[in-house]
Amino acid sequence: MNTIKSLYPYLKPYKWLALFAPLLMVIEVLADLLQPTIMQHIIDYGIANNNQTYVITRSILMLMLALIGLAAGIVCAILSTKAAVNFSTDIRKSLFEKIENLSNSNRDKLGTGHLITVMTNDVTSVQNALNMTLKVLVRGPLLFAGSIVIVLLTARSLFPIIVVVVPILFLCIWFVITKAGKLFKKVQQSVDRVNTKVQENLSGMRVVKAYVRESYEINQFKEANSSLTRANMSAVQLISLLMPVILFVVNIGMVATLWLGGLQVEAGKIEAGVILAFINYLTIILNGLMSSSMVLMQITRAFPSAERIDSVLKTKIDIPPANSAAQINRLKGDLSFQNVTYSYSKNGENVLKDISFTARHGETIGIIGSTGSGKSTLAKLISRLYDPDGGEIFVDGKNLTDYDVKELRSSIGFIPQKATLFTGTIDMNIRMGKDHASSSEIEDAADFACATEFIEKLPERYEYPLTRGATNLSGGQKQRLSIARAFVRKPAILVIDDATSALDAVSEAQVLKHLKEEFADATVIIIASKISSLLHADHIIVMDEGKIAEQGTHEELLRYRSLYYDIYLAQGGKEVLPSE
Amino acid sequence: MNNQGKNQMSSIRGPRGMMKGPVVKPKNAKKTLYRIWSYMGKRKPPLAAAIILVIVTSLLNLLGPYLIGVIIDEHIIPKDISGTIRMSLILAGIYITTSLLTWLQTYLMVNVSFTTIGMLRQDLFAKLQTLSLRFFDKRAHGELMSRVTNDIDNLNNALSQSVIQALSSILSLVGITIAMFSLNWILAIITLIVIPLMVIIVRQILKRSSENFVKRQKDLGELNGFVEEAISGGEVVTLFSKEKDFLTVFNERNEQLRSSATKAETFSGFLGPVTNFINNLGLALVIGAGAFMAVQGSVTVGMIASFVNYSRQFSRPISQMANLVNTILSAIAGAERVFAIMDEQPDVTNKPNALSVTKFAGDVAFENVSFGYNDEKMILKDVTLTAKKGEMVALVGPTGSGKTTIINLLTRFYDISNGDIKIDGRSISDYNIHDLRNRIGIVLQDTYLFSGTIADNIRFGRLDASDEEVKSAAKMANAHSFIKHLPQQYNTVISAGGGNLSEGQKQLLSIARAMLSDCDILILDEATSNIDTKTEIDIQRGMSNLLKGKTSFVIAHRLKTIENADQILVLKDGQIIEEGNHRELLEKQGFYHKLYTQQFTI
Repeated sequence: MNTIKSLYPYLKPYKWLALFAPLLMVIEVLADLLQPTIMQHIIDYGIANNNQTYVITRSILMLMLALIGLAAGIVCAILSTKAAVNFSTDIRKSLFEKIENLSNSNRDKLGTGHLITVMTNDVTSVQNALNMTLKVLVRGPLLFAGSIVIVLLTARSLFPIIVVVVPILFLCIWFVITKAGKLFKKVQQSVDRVNTKVQENLSGMRVVKAYVRESYEINQFKEANSSLTRANMSAVQLISLLMPVILFVVNIGMVATLWLGGLQVEAGKIEAGVILAFINYLTIILNGLMSSSMVLMQITRAFPSAERIDSVLKTKIDIPPANSAAQINRLKGDLSFQNVTYSYSKNGENVLKDISFTARHGETIGIIGSTGSGKSTLAKLISRLYDPDGGEIFVDGKNLTDYDVKELRSSIGFIPQKATLFTGTIDMNIRMGKDHASSSEIEDAADFACATEFIEKLPERYEYPLTRGATNLSGGQKQRLSIARAFVRKPAILVIDDATSALDAVSEAQVLKHLKEEFADATVIIIASKISSLLHADHIIVMDEGKIAEQGTHEELLRYRSLYYDIYLAQGGKEVLPSE
Repeated sequence: MNNQGKNQMSSIRGPRGMMKGPVVKPKNAKKTLYRIWSYMGKRKPPLAAAIILVIVTSLLNLLGPYLIGVIIDEHIIPKDISGTIRMSLILAGIYITTSLLTWLQTYLMVNVSFTTIGMLRQDLFAKLQTLSLRFFDKRAHGELMSRVTNDIDNLNNALSQSVIQALSSILSLVGITIAMFSLNWILAIITLIVIPLMVIIVRQILKRSSENFVKRQKDLGELNGFVEEAISGGEVVTLFSKEKDFLTVFNERNEQLRSSATKAETFSGFLGPVTNFINNLGLALVIGAGAFMAVQGSVTVGMIASFVNYSRQFSRPISQMANLVNTILSAIAGAERVFAIMDEQPDVTNKPNALSVTKFAGDVAFENVSFGYNDEKMILKDVTLTAKKGEMVALVGPTGSGKTTIINLLTRFYDISNGDIKIDGRSISDYNIHDLRNRIGIVLQDTYLFSGTIADNIRFGRLDASDEEVKSAAKMANAHSFIKHLPQQYNTVISAGGGNLSEGQKQLLSIARAMLSDCDILILDEATSNIDTKTEIDIQRGMSNLLKGKTSFVIAHRLKTIENADQILVLKDGQIIEEGNHRELLEKQGFYHKLYTQQFTI
């Protein structure tokens, strides 16, 4: 209920639509409900008294009512669709705005997969639920209640039949629906298992073939498949039991109507037309009951969706998003870490422990260490993707948190480990680094990133359209564009997070050479797993389990004959100290 | 009023699942139907029984309204109590029978269709396992997934519901028409007047809304694609302060969706009130005309009652027909796609008298092998190499030079177009494929792991391995040290693809998997690319025991790891340009020397 309250503001602009739609539905339902009563009157007064005018006028009345019902129904459909579509579109808009402003750690916590599901599935399911509520959920109970009232007024003597039939119907539907819910959950689990099996056999096809596990996998699939078949059968069998049972109950109700009605007609208490009308109302009651319970079931499924939407909307953003109004000053790029600690889980182990170092502009700092030593985390703190738990980070002597994030980030060229590119042209992707870059700036950046050689070979050159996930480029090409994107902004601080792994040795050397020549003034933080990428760093930091294990120049570190030296040897360095 | 039960289901209003965009028509419906029919095999008798039951229940459904009319006219209005009771009992009997038979009919049909579908799914999966990699290269996984899921589900729905519904709809339409005309032809014609109206209007609405639904579906797809990209690339968006720009694009597309969704859903929303109106119109016509004729004495009250009920029964099949036909057509089209896969011929197969082997000595030879994944581009050009029993052969060269292709050919993932590959002096195509692959252990570049426990995944290398053996393989692969920190250690469940493990950990597991397998030839394709140098050295120590006496092929980026190889083959553009051991190649001062020195200098 709280969730409904929190999503209500999105319905508010359309509250008149949402209010009128059910009202119109009431009119449509009333028009429907009156039909059998008029029919009864035609039979009992018109035919019985041979009154032709009565028959004709009442028939015309029926037609008029049908038309009114049609008009009301159509307008109701228009209004409720409008309300539901606008409601969900607005929610989607706010959600996306929120998601765009989430910080990295917000995103980590919520999970990108989860966010995508909320944006795509959950919004749709809430929209459908609202649409249903405005139309069917009003119609069903109205038909149901309206018929009962009319029967109570016009055919009180047959009312006991309703008292018996309706509760039985209720019980049947309730029993089957609750039971079926459980069974269908099982079906869903089996479906997931079958899908996982297929999916992983497609993705792991080479592994299966290499180990000759085809028949093993077929047997595994057989288990999943037959459990799906069994689950499906028991669920569907139960559901298909409902129809005949309900038919049976209602039909027996009808037989009882004929029987009891017959007795009463004989006693002169009612006319034959009442029986006919009553049978019609019995059908309508059943209709209303069935449709509202089915729809109710669908609507309850939307509740978890609404909750998920709400929890994203309520997420507290821990690092403010970029504010485009900020004035952007050119930073020098002096960077210093003072006793910085960081932990992703906030209660578990620290990923970074007591990190302190200084980098002046124009310097190149190399960072090396094994996987999981905290190198990437360190890099991400510089751009404020995360804020440190302890210690402080300064740029040009000013604490990071004192900058507007946009100002800070626009001075940093960050090349992440994974070269994420977006659907659009190459030009557009590089231009992400600098909005109004001239074409010569774009070409220069591509050139420094050694991307020109492949771009020039493409038919559309810089206008070459990238597919989703840039699947039409190779890993090395993607990395080059990602590098160009950071280069184009001529940043004060350049962070390179192991971003040259897919480049061949020659291109990597070229890129590093350009880095030295073209970004002489910038502070360069370069993270690498190969010592060869760091040879010319002014200062090298060796990370181990979140701590700085050793630091110094290449030569100094070799002299320590410790961790760095081991890596050096492992990577093919000669067992002699380089000449000093 | 007999059939109203089914009426309920269809009278639920609101956005229903009927608009699925355009219907794909099957190419050869007759042939496909015949194949589905033959697939039913042993389940034909229950299917036939179900069809007979459909006919019987449809007939019984006609009897109800007729009898109600008779009871009113001949027993209630003449105030004949004993007759009313007698006829009511008969009617009750008919209703009970109808319910029982309806249940039996769906029970049979559900059983038949689900077992058939289960078998079809199983066969399709088994078929996929026999197909060669070339087949999968040509098709997107998503597309194959949708064969196994959507297409089969559609067929299931059609079999278990739509076919029966369509059949009973047609039967009731014909039956009701006959019954009405035999009761009173004038009223029958009046009842039928609304039918063409109904057909035309429903068709128009469906046409309009499906046009709009196509547009909405397109807009929604584009929007969702954009959202997915923006969210998964969130870090980069943040880094480059592009939040506002992404929001602008999003809003544009969201507004587009707002207008197309409104149009599509409004049109489909009309379906409910319009069919409702036509029903009411029909009712008013029948009652008006019936009453008019009753006043003149040519029609009885009971007959009006019968016609009212018949006209109600009439509307359901009509409004459902279009939908049913679409469901059935797309199910057949889906079945066609499923059968197309079933008919695929695997291109890598055993020869008629394929040799079965339990052990290889391990002599491997490539003789003038040329190969391309497609006709346009040759990946390997005239490659010749020999690896003697127990030798370690390293393959080096830039990306795209054909290293992995050599491995793909040795394991017969693909068959060669020219030349010959021999193991122990016989062409590999002479051996039974499964025996061949069984004797070759391989750590692939893609370290795919399956959903299940860590132990399950290692045991994939040898199914009958004991827990101890699994553990020692993990230790040799240096995987034990991280496994022991996992919450359930070897019983920790990982998701498909190994999602919750790092690339490096996945590689360690796939090495352990290979270490467990008992083989004569071992292939390591970039097996340690994501493992840091120190761990890599430890693994190599563990592996040296394993490699003893086995012929091995190693592909590695870091040349340090292959310095001790007996032979180093340098590949470039699909050709072997240099060969020899580390020392010889360095002395040559050629391409290998260049590669080697480059990795250490700037």
